[in-house]
Amino acid sequence: MLFKRLLLAALLTAFTSASQAANNDSWQMLQKAAVAAHALSYQGIFVCQSGQQSKSVEIKHLFNGQHEFARNVVLDGLPREVLSQGGEVVIYNPKNEKIVIEKRRGQNMFPAILPTDLEAIKANYQLKFGETERVADRQAQILVLDAKDNLRYSYKFWVDSEYGLLLKSVMLNGKNEVLDSMAFNQLTLISAVDLDWFKPKIDAKKAYVMEDVNTIADKQEATHWRLKALPEGYVKVDQMMRAVKGKASPVTHLIFSDGLASVSLFIEPLENGIKPRNGRSLVGNTSFYANVAGNLQVTVVGEVPEATVAKIANAVVFVK
Amino acid sequence: MTEQLSALADNEIKLADAEHLLASMQANSPAAEAWSRYQLIGDVMRGTPTLSPDFKAKLMAKIDSEPTVLSPNASWFKPSLGADNVEAKSGSQSMVWSIAASFAAIFVVGFMVLQAQVGDPSLNASVASVETTTQAIPAEYLMAHQSSAPSSSSYYIQPASYTH
Repeated sequence: MLFKRLLLAALLTAFTSASQAANNDSWQMLQKAAVAAHALSYQGIFVCQSGQQSKSVEIKHLFNGQHEFARNVVLDGLPREVLSQGGEVVIYNPKNEKIVIEKRRGQNMFPAILPTDLEAIKANYQLKFGETERVADRQAQILVLDAKDNLRYSYKFWVDSEYGLLLKSVMLNGKNEVLDSMAFNQLTLISAVDLDWFKPKIDAKKAYVMEDVNTIADKQEATHWRLKALPEGYVKVDQMMRAVKGKASPVTHLIFSDGLASVSLFIEPLENGIKPRNGRSLVGNTSFYANVAGNLQVTVVGEVPEATVAKIANAVVFVK
Repeated sequence: MTEQLSALADNEIKLADAEHLLASMQANSPAAEAWSRYQLIGDVMRGTPTLSPDFKAKLMAKIDSEPTVLSPNASWFKPSLGADNVEAKSGSQSMVWSIAASFAAIFVVGFMVLQAQVGDPSLNASVASVETTTQAIPAEYLMAHQSSAPSSSSYYIQPASYTH
């Protein structure tokens, strides 16, 4: 009897540690994918699909041991170009007869869509191994990143079995429908370190203009609002004052993240003579929610389920 | 903003901390006006005076330390030599009244703005429910979201509402 009990205990321990090990292995593989996207040099073509739209993008990414350079050219429709150096992103965006130069802080450009610190993701998602599949002529291991609750979407990642590079990623809603996908259909590693390709293709016939800077950092303590409990796993990552088109006064803009998804919260005073906005919608992977809190118009937008934008909007309390 | 500017004037906040304040005012003057109006509403709602609490005391101390200038008219009415002290007193007394009047004016203006914005019952009624009908996501907010927190597809695919 005692022997049987011991055997059972030993088996249980073995089983638990085995699944733990598999669990750790999957996180290690994801960690490797997060790093490989920055640390490898590669070029290829990937297809980006969101809602009804789809674009092919040519990418060249170089890591010279110290710095990271990438150039992405949209091959379909308008010839938009995205150049990045480290976390600095510059977009050459054709608009009418002009090219507007936009600056961004990019941390999630495919295939580098994962943060290198996975702690926040570990807290909010579960990871398990899926099947193996062939993508862009490469063998890939599928990793399934399931949301722990209905406040975020789930993901599937195809990781190159040899290089560890992310070959494909899809975002799924609770009904397992694909909302967004990015996938290489052609990929090669490169060893050259020259940088003569790292420049935009200049169209001499067009005027190049810088995008208007319409935000300033907001380090001030909020006096007219405060936040109640946020949806689980979301933390504030940024706050600024922003001039919004058609608004007389600057709008407070806060950004929340759960490690993968981002949500924007806009707080502004209700304007005299302008009807307050109340409503919600879901377009593709983007949810929108607007309501009124006391004297404030509250607007929330993000690539998250509707429940999350509603919770963030309802966390705003007007301080009298 | 008025409160902060007065705090700035009273050296209660450092100039460096007020940098954003000045920048935002310089950037857009209608915005600055609206923002100061907004601050004013907040001040009135919280019941805090627009000026810093000890503003009046400091101002009075300054006035007291200033030499009293007697107007010719006043001295014509009170020609006696011993009247200087009386003059000084009535002078600062009228100052107190004008300050009190300007406080009242600020309060009245603030209250009027407040009535127009908060007191409107239709606004309060709309707080109760959020329409469940779906609508297009307003482009200005979507653009603002994507410019500060871009999703990985938004670098290449722009929302349909984006105007070229």
